[in-house]
Amino acid sequence: MSSIPRALTRSGVGLRLPHIEEAVATRPAAGWFEIHPENFLANPYATELLEELARSYPISVHTVGLSVGSAHGVDRVHLQRMRRFVDRIDPVLLSAHLAWSTHQGEYLNDLLPLPYTAETLAIVSRHVAEVQDGLGRALLIENPSRYLGFTGSTMTEVQFLNELVQGSGCQLLCDVSNVHLSAHNLGYDARHYLDGLPAAAIGELHLGGFTVEADDAAPGHEVIVDTHAAPIAAPVWELYGHAVARFGPRPTLIEWDNDIPALATLLNEAMVADDVTRRSSRLEQDHAATR
Amino acid sequence: MPPLAEVQRRVRDAMLAGDAGPLASLIDAGPRDATRRMAIHLRHYRVSLIAVLMGRFPATTWLLGSAQVEAAAAQFVGAVPPDAPCVAEYGAAFPAFLGTWPAAERVAYLEPFADLEWHFGRLSVAVDAPAKDAGTLAALNADDLVDTVLTLQGGTHYCHASWPIDELLAIFLSNTAPEQTMLAEQPVWLECRGTRGDVRINRLTEGDWTFRQAIWRGRPIGVAAERAWLVDPEFDPGAALAAMLGQALVIGAVTRTKGTDS
Repeated sequence: MSSIPRALTRSGVGLRLPHIEEAVATRPAAGWFEIHPENFLANPYATELLEELARSYPISVHTVGLSVGSAHGVDRVHLQRMRRFVDRIDPVLLSAHLAWSTHQGEYLNDLLPLPYTAETLAIVSRHVAEVQDGLGRALLIENPSRYLGFTGSTMTEVQFLNELVQGSGCQLLCDVSNVHLSAHNLGYDARHYLDGLPAAAIGELHLGGFTVEADDAAPGHEVIVDTHAAPIAAPVWELYGHAVARFGPRPTLIEWDNDIPALATLLNEAMVADDVTRRSSRLEQDHAATR
Repeated sequence: MPPLAEVQRRVRDAMLAGDAGPLASLIDAGPRDATRRMAIHLRHYRVSLIAVLMGRFPATTWLLGSAQVEAAAAQFVGAVPPDAPCVAEYGAAFPAFLGTWPAAERVAYLEPFADLEWHFGRLSVAVDAPAKDAGTLAALNADDLVDTVLTLQGGTHYCHASWPIDELLAIFLSNTAPEQTMLAEQPVWLECRGTRGDVRINRLTEGDWTFRQAIWRGRPIGVAAERAWLVDPEFDPGAALAAMLGQALVIGAVTRTKGTDS
């Protein structure tokens, strides 16, 4: 990763349908917006409004439906719809998840975990290439939020992502909240995880809120559920600072998908992210100067 | 470890059945009970899709009661998973499913009412395209006109019911629902049109509805007129076409015999 697109030096916010008319009418001071194309493909009116916004703001497209981890392949009808959509919106970034959600034409409305094996790596790599070819753009792959793994996994998630980057040439979207959440849920060290990712391949960072629940799987303990329904938690801000110090500043996005607050709340969270970015970048520069 | 396709088939079956037990040998969460962790995904599938359906059918929920609709939705999401990644497209089959629900026996118009609500929601996000004017058809000679196929605005839907379901929906949308309302059986022929958040439901005569619905389904003007004459011998296709053009309903016209776009 040589440099951040200039337009993305300030943090962006996830733009959801309840805010789109307000965004068009008020032109808020957002650095950029990220959208889920699946919210727009079946909504011509919202797409028309988004096209209007895209004339004034950089737009990032973050798909939740391409399912690059599905053994039965990428949904080509969806890929074709996506191609027409990205050609209209001309996004600055395009990303998907290291997950699967479709099975033989059925869509399970979740980002489901994958076993990390050589077979899965071959399948995901093939699908990443197919999506990049089909959409004519580079794809970023996001690390998932996880509650469990698979007994048959033969590599860690970090090993898998490194192999994926090497094999497919894709970049990574590092969801810092997912790193915190998965590390808590599965009992590993979040900083160690971040330190293992290929810094040059990190093209975007995500920050989202989560919900802490009693863990039915381990009575007396808590599990963190990736709800995107709350402000960014303090430990995630700290981890984000570590990520910026490790990777350098990257386009950063605030995600909020449920119990969606006023747009101003999201913009405030983006300002906090900008603050943390500035402080963490300075720290990194100071460290570099003394090395 | 089975092949990935087999792992995903088993996870899919667990998701729809709401039971992670059969996955126990596949999944791992260290010292924690992995099937209970998998239950987080199972719960998300069920709860999120029930919420999608409840959000898409508020008027049906008002009519039937949230407990009934939620119970039906819970069965529906286990039986009919989405077939596309856009969840806004999920629920088209729910009205027919509701029609088989025991409560449908005491609400005869439940299925057509839910179907009308489904289309009402879909049309609210439609966008009108530039309409053709009367000159479009005037440029055709009379012989070609009967073989001409018209394209109507994308935000258009035609439905027929034996009950005044449009009145019922209007009561819901007005937020002034009375404690009781009498609904007498009465056939209605409805045209729903939506663009950019605005949806209108118009009642048509049976002749006009038959003509417009046939055109909407891609029939040539001549075929649509013959169908309309079957239900209304006095039907005037010239006036009907003029009205459709005047209402900015027509966005395309192709004469099939010559295959030219006029």
